[in-house]
Amino acid sequence: MSTIAIISSFADDTRCARAIEQLREAELGDFNTFSPIPSHKIEYAIGRSKSPVRWLVLAGGISGVLTGLAITIGTTYEWGLNAGGKPLVSWPPFIVICFELMVLLGGIFGFLGVLMLSGVPTTETAPGYDGRFGGDRFGIVVRCDEAQAERVESMLKESGAEEIVREDEAQPR
Amino acid sequence: MAAAPKAIPEPSFRDIDRSVLRVMEPAGLAYWAWIGFCFTLVAIAAGLWARQIYSGLGVTGLRQPVMWAVYITNFVFWVGIAHSGTLISAILFLFRTKWRTAVYRAAETMTIFAVATAGLFPLIHLGRVWFFYWLLPYPNERSLQPDFRSPLVWDAFAVSTYLTISALFWTMGLIPDIANAREAATGWRKKFYTVLAMGWQGTDRQWRHYSMAYLLMAGLATPLVVSVHSVVSWDFAMAQLPGWHSTIFAPYFVAGAIFSGVAMVITLLIPMRKMLGIEDLLTEWHFDNLAKVVLLTSLVVSYSYITETFMAWYAGDPIELMTFRMRYFGPWGWMFGMMVLCNCLIPLLLFSPRIRVNMIALWVISIFVNIGMWLERFVIIAGSLRVNFEPSQWGSYHPSITEIMITVGSFAWFVGLFSLFSRFLPIFSMTELKEGIVWLRKALKMDRVKAA
Repeated sequence: MSTIAIISSFADDTRCARAIEQLREAELGDFNTFSPIPSHKIEYAIGRSKSPVRWLVLAGGISGVLTGLAITIGTTYEWGLNAGGKPLVSWPPFIVICFELMVLLGGIFGFLGVLMLSGVPTTETAPGYDGRFGGDRFGIVVRCDEAQAERVESMLKESGAEEIVREDEAQPR
Repeated sequence: MAAAPKAIPEPSFRDIDRSVLRVMEPAGLAYWAWIGFCFTLVAIAAGLWARQIYSGLGVTGLRQPVMWAVYITNFVFWVGIAHSGTLISAILFLFRTKWRTAVYRAAETMTIFAVATAGLFPLIHLGRVWFFYWLLPYPNERSLQPDFRSPLVWDAFAVSTYLTISALFWTMGLIPDIANAREAATGWRKKFYTVLAMGWQGTDRQWRHYSMAYLLMAGLATPLVVSVHSVVSWDFAMAQLPGWHSTIFAPYFVAGAIFSGVAMVITLLIPMRKMLGIEDLLTEWHFDNLAKVVLLTSLVVSYSYITETFMAWYAGDPIELMTFRMRYFGPWGWMFGMMVLCNCLIPLLLFSPRIRVNMIALWVISIFVNIGMWLERFVIIAGSLRVNFEPSQWGSYHPSITEIMITVGSFAWFVGLFSLFSRFLPIFSMTELKEGIVWLRKALKMDRVKAA
């Protein structure tokens, strides 16, 4: 039995999320969704865990603080200039540098993290992608056995799909 | 019988796309003439800077004791202008403010160009600009390192971090919109947007990481925006100079930055709204809310002026008192008067709901605020320097044509870059407008009811 892809489009995220919930309940094939906006309804319906990008931001922030400490304390000791017997490592002013580097590296790690985890930059187009999915339509691409196709299509139609198209040998990402 | 009011359809996702993408269509001759005018002024300023580098700072009006004047005023002014962008894009995002969606991209774009403009001024102010890297720590044979106790070094770190984070935050928000523009574009623009969109397709996987990263970046940018102008204020407050040495400078400068920044957003958006015909995206409701932010921050700034004066009087230090007396009643007292008029009195008109939605009145008020805030920085920076501890050290300052033209060039540089951006990249976030479409519909309805 060959695997096919069923591409469906929806007018809003409520119907799209309903279709996802039904597909998940029925355990029919893999699916991928496209949407013009980040939708909480779709996110909850898919039920994936929180993005790991937050750990990358944390790692960036910690490495920023450590870099700040290394630069400030390291350069102070490199040329130890005793001013009035005050401690060389007068840390309160160093907080500013540590804070700025925490934000800088946290932000850079977050930005690069989102690119890396989202698979961009890429020159490949995901199977079933349609330009309208960036505009005003929400899309679901289901990859399933040909035998299940009719059931999937009726499920999508019941949920409110406006358009359903079958494609052979499509490989959702 | 009176004619029934015309029913205007509620905007859909497609209408938002159409309105935003229409702005990005090829521009006419008038637009290119405007760009040419802006960059001619920039070229004149660049020429004068080149002459200054060749001849030295003697071509400016900087003389002892006023060694910081127009250039540093411009630096503080432009960093301040940048702040509203991050306020609207990050802080109001965390507060889930509904009206920010239509204005945040323009404000954020303003941030990038304003920080880029601000960053030039410490360089322009340097006598030997080719040694600018001495502010940064780098390995060298004599183990000479910057003093991390100096606010000027904090400033180098703060401003460069601010520029980087603002640029990343802005780029991240732009990616889905550019991907959308890619679908509608043709010819070289399609290729251009395809490269910039980096293959974004709006899959659930992409949005999941995007949403989390966007939230965290907003969380990082929020304390950053407060820290940057605090650090800028410490350039002055950490010095012993009367008129500078004050503990209230950080909150005072941050409030002033948001005040001037939001006023600049209004100054840019009102003519843009008219010229680009985007009344359906930028409604009176948006301007009403922006005007309220201006009013609030104006009150904070006015309170700061009073507190600063009270502290000088209460401390009883004769030199501090003399500095303030000279600020109010000295030869530059007229600047202080103008500053109070523009920053404290004229914005009080915004208590009137009718003035808040009157575009001409609001635009004129925003111009006054811009002038007032520039003068405020000048009065604090140059005004405090010219009246020093000993009357024998007192001096005066007159800006030279080099400083005046470089200042004019900086405005042209900022407006020119903003104008270029508004035609080639989405100046409104289609993604966020669609997310907040319910609020846009309500705002348009309110406008219609008022118009009726």
